[in-house]
Amino acid sequence: MALPAVLLRGARGGPAGLQSRLSRLLLGALGTAPPGPHPQRGLAVEAKKTYVRDKPHVNVGTIGHVDHGKTTLTAAITKILSESGSAQFKRYEEIDNAPEERARGITINAAHVEYATANRHYAHTDCPGHADYVKNMITGTAPLDGCILVVAATDGQMPQTREHLLLAKQVGVQHMVVYVNKADAVPDQEMLDLVELEVRELLTEFGYDGERTPVIVGSALCALEQREPELGLNSVLKLLEAIDTHIPLPVRDLDKPFLLPVESVHSIPGRGTVVTGTLERGTIRKGDECEFLGYNRNLRTVVTGIEMFHKSLERAEAGDNLGALLRGLKREDVRRGMVMGKPGSLQAHQKVEAQVYILGPQEGGRHKPFVAHYMPVMFSHTWDIACRVLLPPEKEMVMPGEDTQLSLILRQPMVLEQGQRFTLRDGSRTIGTGVVTKTLQLGPEDEAINWG
Amino acid sequence: MQRVALGAVARAGLWPPARLFRAAPRALAADKEALMRLRRKTGLSFVHCRQALLRFEGDLGQAEAWLNEQAQKEGWSKATKLQGRRTKEGLIGLLREGNVAVMVEVNCETDFVARNAKFQQLVQQVVLGTMFHCRGTAEQLTSYTKHFLKPDELSQLQTGPSGGLLRDQMALAIGKLGENMTLRRAAWVAVPEDCYIASYVHGSLPASAPPAAAVAMGKYGALVACRPAEPCPKASLRDVGRKLAQHVVGMAPLSVGSPEDEPGGETETRMLAQTFLLDPGMTLGQYLQPWGLAVLDFVRFECGEETEQPPAE
Repeated sequence: MALPAVLLRGARGGPAGLQSRLSRLLLGALGTAPPGPHPQRGLAVEAKKTYVRDKPHVNVGTIGHVDHGKTTLTAAITKILSESGSAQFKRYEEIDNAPEERARGITINAAHVEYATANRHYAHTDCPGHADYVKNMITGTAPLDGCILVVAATDGQMPQTREHLLLAKQVGVQHMVVYVNKADAVPDQEMLDLVELEVRELLTEFGYDGERTPVIVGSALCALEQREPELGLNSVLKLLEAIDTHIPLPVRDLDKPFLLPVESVHSIPGRGTVVTGTLERGTIRKGDECEFLGYNRNLRTVVTGIEMFHKSLERAEAGDNLGALLRGLKREDVRRGMVMGKPGSLQAHQKVEAQVYILGPQEGGRHKPFVAHYMPVMFSHTWDIACRVLLPPEKEMVMPGEDTQLSLILRQPMVLEQGQRFTLRDGSRTIGTGVVTKTLQLGPEDEAINWG
Repeated sequence: MQRVALGAVARAGLWPPARLFRAAPRALAADKEALMRLRRKTGLSFVHCRQALLRFEGDLGQAEAWLNEQAQKEGWSKATKLQGRRTKEGLIGLLREGNVAVMVEVNCETDFVARNAKFQQLVQQVVLGTMFHCRGTAEQLTSYTKHFLKPDELSQLQTGPSGGLLRDQMALAIGKLGENMTLRRAAWVAVPEDCYIASYVHGSLPASAPPAAAVAMGKYGALVACRPAEPCPKASLRDVGRKLAQHVVGMAPLSVGSPEDEPGGETETRMLAQTFLLDPGMTLGQYLQPWGLAVLDFVRFECGEETEQPPAE
């Protein structure tokens, strides 16, 4: 039973540490390090560096046509920021030669680089393929808060630029900053204008704000080779400033309405019923109203006490493992798998649309494909429940190692929301992992399901 | 700086003197418009389009012809440069025409390119080229035939009756898309009149361009040659055939086996003894029995799979 517990904790879109734990424990070694050592100069090389959390963290990625300079740009950014000590210079080869770390399957073969500007700390991802970005989105290893689209001024937008933008839309990237690279190899300003015009048109075509998206013209190579500072150094600084200002900070978990998946329920003589669990987001205070949802039940009550390590406290925040004393509830009213939340902030659903990745045999998944009406068990938060798979109309089966969109009907309504992560298991085997893209209403044809 | 200077010289040298008398802004505007138009039409890089316009003094027709010629040359030089880079993504293309069906695999480096309309066009050309080739060698059949083509044989095929070679088409695509590509393999199956070829392609991508002809593309493909015991309705044959080919893609059998085989459980690789994909309650042999369908042979391609090249027959 230890395995599913770990899995469930990891399956929610919580802090990065939890998510990487999912990948690491369950699905093989993580090919990339989580935001790692913060570079500090003058220390012994051997000494373990510590990550200092003094700036908000943002995840960005680069996309763009092959040979347009994504890797050169990444190298240039680290070089420039390394001079102020807020990054470690990574040479082109170091970023490009990630293949050594190439692990199999769900561990995404992404090049991770970290750096900090004056205001923020960034993790920079560069995935090699479309499927990698989709897997990344599904497992939530490095959710992208924004993307840098790299376009070479010599070529203009090229065939793959379109595929990348389509992908960015698919994985839900909302903010884009454009870097027009190789401007040093273009003879006149007029052509640069045309490239910019074209990129803006393209962004608009794909549903981004083409008019207001920052477009920075420069040359990553100049920046790396420290020549033509206007095109080189300054353009990269401008780009970083654009990223700082144009890509908004993700909403911190602490600021969201509270949510606590119930891990266990106890009855304490003389006091009442206590639920325990890890607060996934938000903050709870003594006296807060709360709501329990799941298994066709909906209960409202008040938290009359909060305890951690056998000590009572006034206020608990996301990440705390706590016990909450509830007013007027009996032990049998609540059970593991129900979710305690701020009243009105959560909803139970019985049908969802999801994007899932089905593990291949090397990852411990199925060897054979599955077809419509397959019935695995869905795990999310602390609950698990049988569900029925409905395939999209153009799809008749799903092969191992494939990602796909599908609908799931649960045996009973449970707390589900857009962006929530889950795992699908069949017997003792994890067969896939997914993310909810939409919650749906149960149709009349869905009522007739035979749950066996 | 040097490049800017060179550009200016080239422009001064190529433009006829009469042009110099024109109002500068208008000349610029025309230039810009032509550049955009040429780029939209050819999809080639800005730098090249500009070069072509300068060379032919703004003559769009000549510029386009020259550009296409250059693209071919550049494709070859790029293809040589990229040679040896690993290609493990790509697509399977499949086409069935009457009693002949072909299946090909074309590889590229990333799945981004596999989704590109230009790459899909290449796959289609390879499929049509292979079909053209096997139509040319077709004879009166008394039993089914199965052939495989190796990469070097494939690259020498023509795209059609008056078409160029497939390897030139590939070079062109490499030049445009900037990734190494391989014409990995092709197979074709031809059957006599009383037989049927079932096919299925899995993992098709949302088509960015409407596919001409009936070429199906995806990550997996299967062809199954089978013979109905007696003439049976086309519609049900199509339906059963599709399920059969789907089974081949999903369960990856290694041999046909015979209907008398004892099922060997999970790891069974003889097709007729395997558990039927769409009904785990029976074997494929049991499923086919009431239909009176005999499986003669099959071919299964999985894109990027690591297998020995099947020997050419």
